[in-house]
Amino acid sequence: MKMHTAAEVISFVRKLENESADFYNTLSQKYAQSGDVFLSFAKENGKNVTQVERSYYGVITDAIEGCFSFDVEPDAYTFETKLGEKASYSDALDRAVEIENKMIKLYSDAAEQSQTLMADVPRVFKIIAKKRGNRIAELGSLLKR
Amino acid sequence: MALLEEPIKEVRTLQNFIGGEWVDSQGEIRDVVNPATQKTIARVPISTKDEIDAAVEAAKEAYPDWRRTAPVSRARYLFRLKELLEENFEEVSRIQTQEHGKTIDESRGETRRGIENVEVACGMPTLMQGPHSEDIAPGIDEWIIRQPLGVFGIIGPFNFPFMIPLWSAPYALATGNCVVVKPSSEVPNSQTRLAELVDEAGFPPGVWNVVHGGRTVVNGMLDHPDIEGITFVGSTPTAQFIYERCGATGKRVIAQGGAKNYMVIMPDCDVLRTIPALMTSFFGNAGQRCLSGANLCIVGDDKFYNSFMDGVVDTTSKIIIGYGLDEAVQMGPVRDTEKRERIIGYIESGIKQGAKVRLDGRGQVKVTGDYPQTCFLGPTILENVNPDMKCAREEIFGPVMSVIRAKSLDEAIDMANGSTFGNAHAIFTSSGNNAREFQYRVVSGNVGINIGIVAPMAWFPFSGMKNSFYGILHTQGQEAVRFFTESKVVIQRWF
Repeated sequence: MKMHTAAEVISFVRKLENESADFYNTLSQKYAQSGDVFLSFAKENGKNVTQVERSYYGVITDAIEGCFSFDVEPDAYTFETKLGEKASYSDALDRAVEIENKMIKLYSDAAEQSQTLMADVPRVFKIIAKKRGNRIAELGSLLKR
Repeated sequence: MALLEEPIKEVRTLQNFIGGEWVDSQGEIRDVVNPATQKTIARVPISTKDEIDAAVEAAKEAYPDWRRTAPVSRARYLFRLKELLEENFEEVSRIQTQEHGKTIDESRGETRRGIENVEVACGMPTLMQGPHSEDIAPGIDEWIIRQPLGVFGIIGPFNFPFMIPLWSAPYALATGNCVVVKPSSEVPNSQTRLAELVDEAGFPPGVWNVVHGGRTVVNGMLDHPDIEGITFVGSTPTAQFIYERCGATGKRVIAQGGAKNYMVIMPDCDVLRTIPALMTSFFGNAGQRCLSGANLCIVGDDKFYNSFMDGVVDTTSKIIIGYGLDEAVQMGPVRDTEKRERIIGYIESGIKQGAKVRLDGRGQVKVTGDYPQTCFLGPTILENVNPDMKCAREEIFGPVMSVIRAKSLDEAIDMANGSTFGNAHAIFTSSGNNAREFQYRVVSGNVGINIGIVAPMAWFPFSGMKNSFYGILHTQGQEAVRFFTESKVVIQRWF
């Protein structure tokens, strides 16, 4: 079912950020050669949640369209975080890129939908989408190492 | 999405907060029922005259010391309260949903709006400074000192149980007054929790008091010789009654009443952005707010009208209704069955007078989750309404959109100005000229331009005109500072 309220979208973002943080924490233990990078991603996911929640709780008021701001289909953004037992390092990086692309799409779409209806939140979404775009480049460089 | 956890887990009998103590009331006890679940969540006392007298006495006793507390120190108490409100933000928001029925987004919005008033009042050391003129004549200076007056009564409504007393209380306290708050007995938990946080913030005993109850408490405030002024938000008849009684007893008063807001739609509006704004305006808080859209006044030809209304009806019919602690829910129940029946009565009167039901919220409502239908109403859209119909003239205070057509902006403004209310009319347009003409001519205390809920920020006055407001100064911001202080003019010459 589509999500329309700010509360629901913020919770969805939190859930996906936490899931992808768990994914990177797992990778950091499994692939020591890139452990620092994966750990930094996981830590940044936590910061993203804080940033999103801070902007939401800071500006949500009864004057803006909190219950009618979004039109998000969650299935379009969910991702698999489990890797098969035989998954290689390269498979793990491919999965990471897949996750990042989903997250970028979620943040970009949600920012676009709420642009004129929510204060501050779309701006934070755009900032995080950009940060996650940088991750894809970083993941690409790991693959080349 | 899962249902958020309810903060109120056990039914307790609420107490009054008088002189820094939580005390049992001797009055009748009534159940407070969650409108979505129909479960009793608390018991509220209907306090006696002796109890309101005791609270006023406690406030009066606390006043001299509080008045002598430096404004910067008083502001620090408010800073501590602000911190505690931030720490308990989610809990106080969920309490509002649990006792009132509004969605969690709406409750969080209400909490934020309340906190913003605390934040503004934290600036009181500068806000209450008076002007000073040196040398009004050779060697003579003149200035104004803004001094507090004593004890104020704050009477809260049911529709914003947490926020509305905060339009007044922080300013009253920061300027050096003491307050007695009477929350609505329908939704007393939010103010009880707020008072617990006030207590935790360490305000001196008697500075902030809470007395639960009904008419006896209100009348006790209105007639009490030691209460200097009253702030009230509620229905127009009660606002008028309070205004008159305060006049008779020589009290200052801010009495905010009802509304019948026109949302004027021009053919040049941005339709895709206007419709979500209208959803919040008409159906947010289940239409139970004085800033809600009530009459949708569409200017334009049949083609524009039909296309715009198709969009409005389509979006409205998809509104998700249920218990506000479900994050997916866009509209909660109305507060109680009496209000539900009253709203249905208005819909039926509209039909009798010739309105056409485009969307009917009566009858079986599709409620998300397993909740009794008792207080739920779907959104209703009435077309073919004219400004003389009862449903277009009187405040319904529910999720009902009465659609009126106008030939021109002039006619739309005339219709809005024909209302006996003047609270929050708005226009949706992409023309600066239309917008300017509207804001210039419309008789409305708050005016929206492409804004569906014209809620002034805490540092602006919450205005109102005609039968929507009785008084001169308003709650919030600088006007609240002036309301809660007397201007003492000093003229000084030294020989």
